[in-house]
Amino acid sequence: MKKSLENRIGAGYSFLAPAIIFYSIFFLFPVIFSLLVSFKKWNMLIPFTKAPFIGWKNFLDLLKDELFLMSLRNTLLYALLTVSITLTISLFYAIMINKAKFSVFWRFIYFAPVVTPQVAIATIWGYLYNPNNGLLNAILRFFGFKGLNWLTDPSTALFSIILTAIWAGIGGSMLIFTASLKNIPQEYYDAAKIDGATGFKEFWYITLPLLKPTLLFLSATGLIGAWQVFDLPYMLGRNAPAKSVMTVSWYTYETAFQYLRMGRASAGAFLLFVVIFVITLIVLWIFRKGGIKGYE
Amino acid sequence: MNRNVKNLLWETFRYSIIIFGAFWMILPFFWLFSASLMTPQELLAFPPKFLPAEPQWKNYIEVVKKIPILMYYKNSLIVAISVTLSVLLTSSLAGYSFAKLKFPGREAFFRFVLSTMMFPVFIFLIPVYYLMKLFGWLNNYLSLITPFMVSGYGIFLMRQFILTIPNELLDSARIDGANELKIYLKIIIPLLKPALATLAILTFIGQWNSFLWPLIVTSSSQHLMTLPVGISRLSLAFSTTETQHLILTALVLQVIPTVALFLFLQRYYIKGFVLSGFGEV
Amino acid sequence: MKKLLVPILILLLIFTSVSFGKTKLIFTVHWSDYQVEGVKDEKGNLVFKGLKQYVEEYMKTHPDVEIEIRSVAFDELLKKIIIDHTAGLPSDIYVLYSLWGVELVRSGILDEPSADVQNAVRLLFVKPAVEGATIDGKIWGVPIEVDNYALVYNKKLLASAGFKKPPRTWSELVSMAAKLTKRNPDGSVAYYGFAFLAGWDSAVVHPYLALLYSNSGEFLTKDFKECLLDRKEAIEALDAELELFRKGGTDTSASVWNFPAGKVAMMIMAPWYETSLKIGFKDKYAETVGVAPIPYLKKPATCGYTWFIGVDSASKNKKQAWDFIKWMTIQTMPNGATRMGELMAKNIGAIPPRRSDLDKFPDELNDLYTATFVKELIHTIQEPNVAQGQEIKTILMREIVEAWNGRKTAEQALKDAKKKIDEILKENY
Repeated sequence: MKKSLENRIGAGYSFLAPAIIFYSIFFLFPVIFSLLVSFKKWNMLIPFTKAPFIGWKNFLDLLKDELFLMSLRNTLLYALLTVSITLTISLFYAIMINKAKFSVFWRFIYFAPVVTPQVAIATIWGYLYNPNNGLLNAILRFFGFKGLNWLTDPSTALFSIILTAIWAGIGGSMLIFTASLKNIPQEYYDAAKIDGATGFKEFWYITLPLLKPTLLFLSATGLIGAWQVFDLPYMLGRNAPAKSVMTVSWYTYETAFQYLRMGRASAGAFLLFVVIFVITLIVLWIFRKGGIKGYE
Repeated sequence: MNRNVKNLLWETFRYSIIIFGAFWMILPFFWLFSASLMTPQELLAFPPKFLPAEPQWKNYIEVVKKIPILMYYKNSLIVAISVTLSVLLTSSLAGYSFAKLKFPGREAFFRFVLSTMMFPVFIFLIPVYYLMKLFGWLNNYLSLITPFMVSGYGIFLMRQFILTIPNELLDSARIDGANELKIYLKIIIPLLKPALATLAILTFIGQWNSFLWPLIVTSSSQHLMTLPVGISRLSLAFSTTETQHLILTALVLQVIPTVALFLFLQRYYIKGFVLSGFGEV
Repeated sequence: MKKLLVPILILLLIFTSVSFGKTKLIFTVHWSDYQVEGVKDEKGNLVFKGLKQYVEEYMKTHPDVEIEIRSVAFDELLKKIIIDHTAGLPSDIYVLYSLWGVELVRSGILDEPSADVQNAVRLLFVKPAVEGATIDGKIWGVPIEVDNYALVYNKKLLASAGFKKPPRTWSELVSMAAKLTKRNPDGSVAYYGFAFLAGWDSAVVHPYLALLYSNSGEFLTKDFKECLLDRKEAIEALDAELELFRKGGTDTSASVWNFPAGKVAMMIMAPWYETSLKIGFKDKYAETVGVAPIPYLKKPATCGYTWFIGVDSASKNKKQAWDFIKWMTIQTMPNGATRMGELMAKNIGAIPPRRSDLDKFPDELNDLYTATFVKELIHTIQEPNVAQGQEIKTILMREIVEAWNGRKTAEQALKDAKKKIDEILKENY
């Protein structure tokens, strides 16, 4: 017994060796470098060593900037709404399609947004949201409502972006749910049927608990990804007031490569990291509280 | 009778929900294919047209003639396949380690791996580019492949899937004298087929469509350019020739392999787990 | 005689070994494959020369120089320059948007051209382009492209509302736009009288600056120490834009990209949109598209921006770099035009900023579309080459958009812009 335990510890480390080497080179160096940069004023053109050290000024400037604070708020809303709604819809459709005919065909169609290039997404959603000719307003007007300025009105712009983000995210989550559903042994369902549990009961008492590891994964990675979102808001939110649609990644990207304020941008990246880290810990804690031990 | 009616209603509900969603999901994708066959003038129409008056198949011939698309395909394939294989390997090994092997520092290191996903991409651009220059890998596929060989997302995904594999399976193999590597190869990997297929699809697509890093790294080495970078060069600010429409055609050519891979890997989405034969659960 | 043979042989040896060491120049641009490789017809014959052909010509006559062209999409060019620099791999020659040039100069990245190049630029190029290449009083490169803005209108839509001529003054524009906007009974708009260019900083700011200059206003003080947007002229200029919204000639859903589909009657546009218009209107292009100077407030004016070509101060081959640049931009070909001018006008479709080039390409520069832009060069005022230019313009853009949406008055928007811009100016001047 003792030998196999030592065996396992050795294997534990050696299986992680590639990751350890990789992260030492490609992660630790850039992150430590960026941390140093966040305490300097650097436009990336003068040599790094000549950039003046300014202490906490970058962090303080960010926390004083209304646009940065609004970006935090927007990103928080975006993350919570996008992840929760996407997961719910993806799980629903994964289950619907799992037992349907032509499931491969449907799965492909729902996955299509993941492989659709940005220009197509921007063109079609730009059209759907168009206040004058767009399909969405046409539908609203058909039912007697007034059209909305989906992407330019500050009260609707962020939610329009969130809607498109949900649309874009369903396919990937659905794929992962599908893989997990396939992993649930049929014996469990057969046993449940004998006990008379079908439909919703089957879902609640068998499927859902066994999907907990996947739910944790999708919630955590969904939130981590959502907090860093850049492409979609940048693409669709160009014509809305920045305060209502800007996300933290967009802010830091603009600060770094348009304003050449790499110090401030790096500080923003670290503030964002802290936020994401705390939120991820909260998600892990929630799952540990509600889950079976071992499925953390 | 009641039960059959209930069934019928349920199935109707199921398919109408699916078809309703499918319309919205496929719309931009469908438009892309349709637009690739339009004339430049049709593309400037507003509201956007959804079907060309006459499909311009010659767009595809023009694209193939105008850009070295085979070279771009080759480069994209080399990079995407290398990264995907590397990620599958390192993620499943590390995922197994985190899920089923006990050793000091395991949880702390797992949290470290999670935290590697929490930094925005731009802070890596300059330092990693500098490293590539330092190692002399700039004019080499290595600069396109190595920064992506390990993925925290992949490790996390594999860990979650491997957690669902019953410990009894592994313990009985250990009692039989198998070492961890053998367990990994003979038990874990076969049971992970849907998960591996999923990770393969997502990783491949991520690499295949990746634009910013390949752009930065290949602008001095045109022979290494990947598909997205190559296609972006069709974009013109001014133009005395009409090539903007060819971008959509080129994008279709970019999308097709990802669709093919997705459909090909669907074969691994089978019931991955049959318990009978492994004794008590 | 024989005694001289040995020293002659030695001299010959030295000369040949010197010319064996080739100088390599790296030239980074933002042009597409066509603009670099040249435009070919179906049979593969060259129709328009690309940058590559000129470079090959140069290398033939200067066998000791090798030039490598690297092109990066416009959106990524600045990033590429920065990242290359931090990694210690700068290019030798760049094509630069003038505001990027300001940051490079202030960080000591650009090589100051020799006096003869600076004088040549001052004498031979149009005023806005010279200003565009001037940073902190010195000239830092040779301008290669100058852009400005004009009023582009749909003759047919104007005629259908009874207008035979485009508006000359701004108030004419406002009343015409209101009459030209057609609304549907359900509240949606069928087509707009006017649409503003929007979506990025220059799009919104340049036309505003054109109005500001037309109103005899100034954006910044000459020493860049203060922002002047709280002055009467600036507020009037923004209010003039807002009049269009108030009178119903446009709204924030109007988009210039719908002009080729005939959904917009008038817009303020730059020279680079020509091809889209030709494609959109096809054989009806000539009878539909018209170009006129921007309707003025007090005096005719438009805003311009410039691209120039410069050399990196860390380059090991500065002399050869400038020699190539002079050959492309200052020296003329037998027909009197410069090579860069020819590349710009015939292939890239832009306006060459060298005075003597302006009448050498009548087909491209004196045509239906571009002619007005070229004529308006005398009224063109270059945007100021101020430090943190893009940041300042983005701030102004966002305030202008607030005003467009009716969330701020012109005065409040400009006041808020001035406050933030003054902070940045203080940091840099």
